[in-house]
Amino acid sequence: MWWNNVETKPGTGFPTRWEDQEKYKGGWKVENGELKLRSTSKTKTVTNIFHNPNMPTLDDYYEPWTYKYKDLFDSPESDDQPTARPISMVTGEEMDIEAGPNWDDDLAGSPIYAENDINLDGLSEEQRNQMFAIERLMMFYFPRICNHCVNPSCVASCPSGALYKRGEDGIVLLDQERCRAWRSCISACPYKKTYYNWNTGKSEKCILCFPRVETGQAPACFHSCVGRIRYLGVLLYDAELIEETAKRPDDELVDAQREMILNPFDENIIREAKKNGIADSTIEAAQKSPVYKFVKEWGIALPPHVEYRTLPMLFYVPPMLPVMSAQEGDAVRNINEEFFPDFEKARAPIKYLAKMFGGGNESHLRYVLKKQSAIRAYRRAETVGDIEKLDAEKALLEADCTPKEAEGIYQLTSLCTFEDRFVIPAAHREEAIEMMKDPLEHKQEAGFGFKEAPARGW
Amino acid sequence: MKNIFSINTIISITLFINVNSFLFSQSDPEEFFEKNCFSCHTIGGGRLTGPDLKDVEKRKDAAWLEKFILNPESVINSGDAYASKLLKEARGVVMPKVANLDQSMSRALLKFIREESSKEKSRFAGSTFADRPLTEEDYMIGNELFIGTKRLKNKGPSCISCHEIAGEGFLGGGLLGPDLTEAYGRLGGKKAIAAWLANPSSETMSPIYKKHPIDEDEVLPLVAFLKNKAEGKDIVSDAHDFNFMIFGFIGLALCLVLFDLAWGNRLRAVRKPMVKGELS
Repeated sequence: MWWNNVETKPGTGFPTRWEDQEKYKGGWKVENGELKLRSTSKTKTVTNIFHNPNMPTLDDYYEPWTYKYKDLFDSPESDDQPTARPISMVTGEEMDIEAGPNWDDDLAGSPIYAENDINLDGLSEEQRNQMFAIERLMMFYFPRICNHCVNPSCVASCPSGALYKRGEDGIVLLDQERCRAWRSCISACPYKKTYYNWNTGKSEKCILCFPRVETGQAPACFHSCVGRIRYLGVLLYDAELIEETAKRPDDELVDAQREMILNPFDENIIREAKKNGIADSTIEAAQKSPVYKFVKEWGIALPPHVEYRTLPMLFYVPPMLPVMSAQEGDAVRNINEEFFPDFEKARAPIKYLAKMFGGGNESHLRYVLKKQSAIRAYRRAETVGDIEKLDAEKALLEADCTPKEAEGIYQLTSLCTFEDRFVIPAAHREEAIEMMKDPLEHKQEAGFGFKEAPARGW
Repeated sequence: MKNIFSINTIISITLFINVNSFLFSQSDPEEFFEKNCFSCHTIGGGRLTGPDLKDVEKRKDAAWLEKFILNPESVINSGDAYASKLLKEARGVVMPKVANLDQSMSRALLKFIREESSKEKSRFAGSTFADRPLTEEDYMIGNELFIGTKRLKNKGPSCISCHEIAGEGFLGGGLLGPDLTEAYGRLGGKKAIAAWLANPSSETMSPIYKKHPIDEDEVLPLVAFLKNKAEGKDIVSDAHDFNFMIFGFIGLALCLVLFDLAWGNRLRAVRKPMVKGELS
């Protein structure tokens, strides 16, 4: 159970080929103009309540293991060194390790795992061969937590109503007291980011470290990220547009989701937000939000697999993977005189990235990669000077970017501080609690955690 | 909410009990005797399944009788000599504990029996409808009534729904009541059985047949049927146990096929077939 895992792409991920919704039946589909869950319906909830047919197996997650370390100390003297053999943490028996949490990294580019990446579907044979050719072989990391979707299919599928999206900050949570272990959410989540805990008999998921967020701190994985590539901020959106947005065709979904996100500087929107009880501090945070800049102002962050129609609220800046060298005869030569060659010839085909981040729409990926490339050229011209300033500015113009914007992106991606990366408004939990009970009474009870640890039964 | 609910339940149960005892305190011993005792006992009419109760108090004292009436089985089990003798005379048929019989009613009953015994001819000297001889036609009708191809006139359930008899019926009879193959001899012959059927008084049967009694015209055919079976005539093969088992297996197989049709297309594995190159 990994609330937060990092996968290697191309690869089949965790659980194996989780992106294959033909098999796992996660997310939404549009049927007769209506949004329907792939995994379940009102009737299916009844007929399948004791047997959910689309569940990933233990083997698809991987069988957890440890090693018999004691053997290293206890083995009798012999000609060979003692070894610690792997044993299953499920059965306690010795086992062969066949899969792991990031098996694609352990076997990067292997003909079995990497080539079965479902995002490669639709690539030509030549493109596939190029991707896995020596010196062109490419990989990038794909960190995954719960996407805290705007239209979460896990919430929609739960027969017990244990899952909910918090109104105050949009964090999707799973009530450990209400969960009845039907495991509908596990099928319904297309990102396979809810997990069933066999020890407690409850499902679990990433909580976006809400106790930290409530106290103004970044979630632990955001805070500790050594690459400083995780940003957290407020986005205002129009909840009435959710259904309509989620019904749009695959290739329009990225744009539709962006349209749904509102401009926090717009006077009308500020007025409406206030009318709806959104605190001034939240609006202010939305104006400073790094996520708003990435997604809406600059348009360089894209939602993962938006075609599952859950409208994920995590956004990724797609990677640039230029080809710098190639094999010629026996030698590997630098084939690029330019530092920033044509990204159309990059190692990761645009089509592949578009399947992951664009709902199949390649124009978004072209836009993002072009902008990134132009900004790098611009900064190179600024700092090193081996690129003509005029050429760089021309590149910026072509990439729909101004020098000011380029500077902003450079600042936020390279020289950012904690305050830039995480703009977390006061949680106003008291207002949320007020709806249920007296906040002062709640305050006296808070801090003792669960009255009981999560356990089977009710 | 929970507390309120349980209080409600208690109130309704108490009401129910009160109504019940109220109803029975109203009934007089004569009516009670007719409904509950007459199927096995006469007063001056000779033995049926149980002994003739005429002058019963001359045979045993009132205290003993009261104890026996209230709980026959415990007196028999206590090893009482007279009770054992009675059991033997009744061919091992234990007198059932009579529902809604309390101490005051048992005293009233004894008093009633005393009064009836002093009469020259009691109303309860035995029924007369069972006097005519049994015919072959009786047996045929009895057979139909027993296995239910012919419905009982007053819509009572057919015997086979609770009783087995000599392998009758494709899957045998019900197992709730005892096997009736030997019932004719056990209960003491034609007259006793007829009396029982006219007014079944065991704890299980009496509430069922009180509202839907077996008609007098139906009693003798059933007696004829029971008699023939007890004499070993028309014994059907004992294959119903086997039939039942085969039926069970077929049912199981059908259920499994149904389950497979409904859920056979489930997700079984992704990684293993992928590694083997069998991914569809």
